[in-house]
Amino acid sequence: MSVTQPQTARTDATAAAKCWNCGAASAGPHFCPSCGKIQPLLAGTDYFAFFGLPQQLTLDSTALENEFHKLSWKLHPDNFVRASEFERNLSLELSAQLNDAYRALSEPIARIEYLLAHLGVRKEGATKQQAPPELLEEVFELNESLDELREARADGGDTALLRERLGEAKSNFQDKLAEVDDELAVASREWDAALAANADPSKQTALLSRMNDVLNRRSYIRNLVASVAKELAEA
Amino acid sequence: MARTVGIDLGTTFSLVAHLDPATGSPKCIPGPYGSTLCPSVVSVDGDGKVIVGEPARQLLLTQPERTIYSVKRLMGRGVDDIQDELRLFPFRIDSGSRNVIRVRLGDKLFTPPEISAFILRELKSWAENHFGEPVERAVVTVPAYFNDAQRQATKDAGRLAGLEVLRLVNEPTAAALAYGLHEQKRGRVAVYDFGGGTFDISILKLISTSEGDIYQVLSTNGDTHLGGDDIDNALLERMRATISELHNVDLSAHPEAAQEVRKRVIAAKHELSAKDSVLLSFKLPGGGVVQQAINRADFEKWIEPIVARTMEPVRHALADAKLAPAEIDEVVLVGGSTRIPLVRRTVGEYFERPPHCELDPDEVVALGAAAQATILEGGVKTMLLLDVTPLSLGIETMGGVVAKIIPRNSTIPASAQELFTTGVENQTAIDVHILQGERELAKDCRSLARFQLKVPPGPAGLARVEVKFLIDANGILQVAARDLKTDAQQVLEVQPSYGLSDDEIERMLEESIEFAEEDFANRQVIEARTEAETILNATEKTLRGSRSSELSPGERRSIDGAVSHLRSAVAGTDYKLMRQCIDELNQATMHLAEILMNSALQTAVQGKRLEDV
Repeated sequence: MSVTQPQTARTDATAAAKCWNCGAASAGPHFCPSCGKIQPLLAGTDYFAFFGLPQQLTLDSTALENEFHKLSWKLHPDNFVRASEFERNLSLELSAQLNDAYRALSEPIARIEYLLAHLGVRKEGATKQQAPPELLEEVFELNESLDELREARADGGDTALLRERLGEAKSNFQDKLAEVDDELAVASREWDAALAANADPSKQTALLSRMNDVLNRRSYIRNLVASVAKELAEA
Repeated sequence: MARTVGIDLGTTFSLVAHLDPATGSPKCIPGPYGSTLCPSVVSVDGDGKVIVGEPARQLLLTQPERTIYSVKRLMGRGVDDIQDELRLFPFRIDSGSRNVIRVRLGDKLFTPPEISAFILRELKSWAENHFGEPVERAVVTVPAYFNDAQRQATKDAGRLAGLEVLRLVNEPTAAALAYGLHEQKRGRVAVYDFGGGTFDISILKLISTSEGDIYQVLSTNGDTHLGGDDIDNALLERMRATISELHNVDLSAHPEAAQEVRKRVIAAKHELSAKDSVLLSFKLPGGGVVQQAINRADFEKWIEPIVARTMEPVRHALADAKLAPAEIDEVVLVGGSTRIPLVRRTVGEYFERPPHCELDPDEVVALGAAAQATILEGGVKTMLLLDVTPLSLGIETMGGVVAKIIPRNSTIPASAQELFTTGVENQTAIDVHILQGERELAKDCRSLARFQLKVPPGPAGLARVEVKFLIDANGILQVAARDLKTDAQQVLEVQPSYGLSDDEIERMLEESIEFAEEDFANRQVIEARTEAETILNATEKTLRGSRSSELSPGERRSIDGAVSHLRSAVAGTDYKLMRQCIDELNQATMHLAEILMNSALQTAVQGKRLEDV
């Protein structure tokens, strides 16, 4: 690894619109329309804006991929080996940003997570790990079965029945996961409609917070399924 | 313009390739022994002279304590990492080594990047001899599964060899590129790269766009310590046991004999790719003779566990690419170990299709590197490689848990920002520990570096320092920190966990320049001495001739004086003094030279009329 010294690709909002090379007024996005030189990102450019998209959750994944390839072709450091250090750094930063943005937007769940984090609704790493109330009973039963399985394994007892029961529980939770994904898809469409209709902020906030709750439930169920799968694999 | 080449710096062999202008296709450059393969073997003789390649491989048999092979296994690693290798490889590691391994060759110590630099320098000279002009830039390949420290060590080696490394390219990606250019392959491609010391699997998507072809890596996995070497060692272990049992000879007490046996089992391995059975036959120290037949079925039984180890990374790579084996359109084999029929069979059965091996598995990586070098050199861009980082990047958080900030298989360049703050009042520094790997706990991941963020004293949680982590197109991490309160860039002092510091590299570079100066001085002495001897011989011959009588006694004296000055200068090593005395003698013999010239002219024009002259 290495340490980089002062980054050049950051500009403040006032200077951002001017091309650093030819001074043309409306430079960008990514390249100056007048001299063709690579440009720093405008302050506040989010992943959606990087692709020239509104903050919508329903995306045409083929169109997004095509745009990703098109921008990769232009922004990649391969094109700037002979350019000035300033331009080389810009290319590095913009390509990294492009790849980060594509990584976040190309998967529907990652896309929602990004939008929520970007709008300050969701703190990264601070997802709630409490069991959702409506699942409490089933989770309780599941944990009991997991304990019994561990015990039976330790004592060398018969685990066939327990494994069967856990397998059922696992497929039950997998069904719930599919339900949650459907819920997210519905909420995503509602968000897009609200955005398009310029709905009032309180409605938008309510939608975002609903999506956040569903995401938390999703991550909880996913962890459950993963831990059951792990125990079953070991048994 | 200086040339840019592609270099495959391999565990067993290294190669250099360039774009052949005659065909427009990449081509490997042969060395002085006619082969394009340069054995990755380095030997240092008693005078400190470095020998690389084929002659060094010969020295492995006679001077094993001065010779090293498979140094790539040591790149970017610490002493604790390589305890397993030390049981199997005759590396003589200096006991003072810690985060950078130092290897003893004869009475000198070298770091792995220095030894790799000798190999790169050799390949550089192959290319320079081929072009008749200097080579200053290169694309160098690395195993896809190399971590940050291993990549950095490879880049350091390039710098020490006097090469600007324009890009590190992952070996399987380079191979895919060579195949793509050659075969016009499209769709989803799996590259199975089983080399001398490393194993990689990469899953790529080849896309045609209106601008050109894009080679997008979807996932990669591997084992940086799994290769043909392991097969050799498995065979060697069996032979050791047999020899100890039947002949009561302990090979570890005979390093020369152990190298001889190693050479024999490698030859047997190669032969078993084509034949059903081979006979090993050689003499032992003490006069015993080994006669041992190996058939292919036994060989396959012995190496099956090693081949099986390659399939675990294959399954992981496919899972990460979210693909089933049957969804792969083409499978490409790379690396010498894929010549083994069992390997081909295993891969073919898993993917349910015969793998491609049309291109020489030894050359294909270097060919791809040359193609990438041409593009970076500023040639016409016809394709683009989008590679990934093989390992997740994380930072240590409370309780030694790793928080992943850039997941594995992210397309590079990739970046992540993290905000750091203070936990207690008047804290003036925040420790940051960067790691690479997939495990949950810091102690199970690979430590990359540690650094401290400086913050002004104040209430807990007030400080705001943003650290930007960026993995560049080489797969090497860069970090930069910025204080959000003051908007000031913070200068970081990073302590790399493994590898050479910038200061150490600077020192090594200076030493190599000193060496170069020494070499330069030696050459100057030799040249001045040769010139001095020529002029001394000529002067003495003339002085013995009849024409010297035309000189005045004063002239004669000054010539004699200059001759004796030059004689004593030649006896020494001061080439500047020699040059001075040569000038003195030239001055003193000016008149003598005129006399000779006139006499030569007279001889030449004798018998000719004036108008003919």
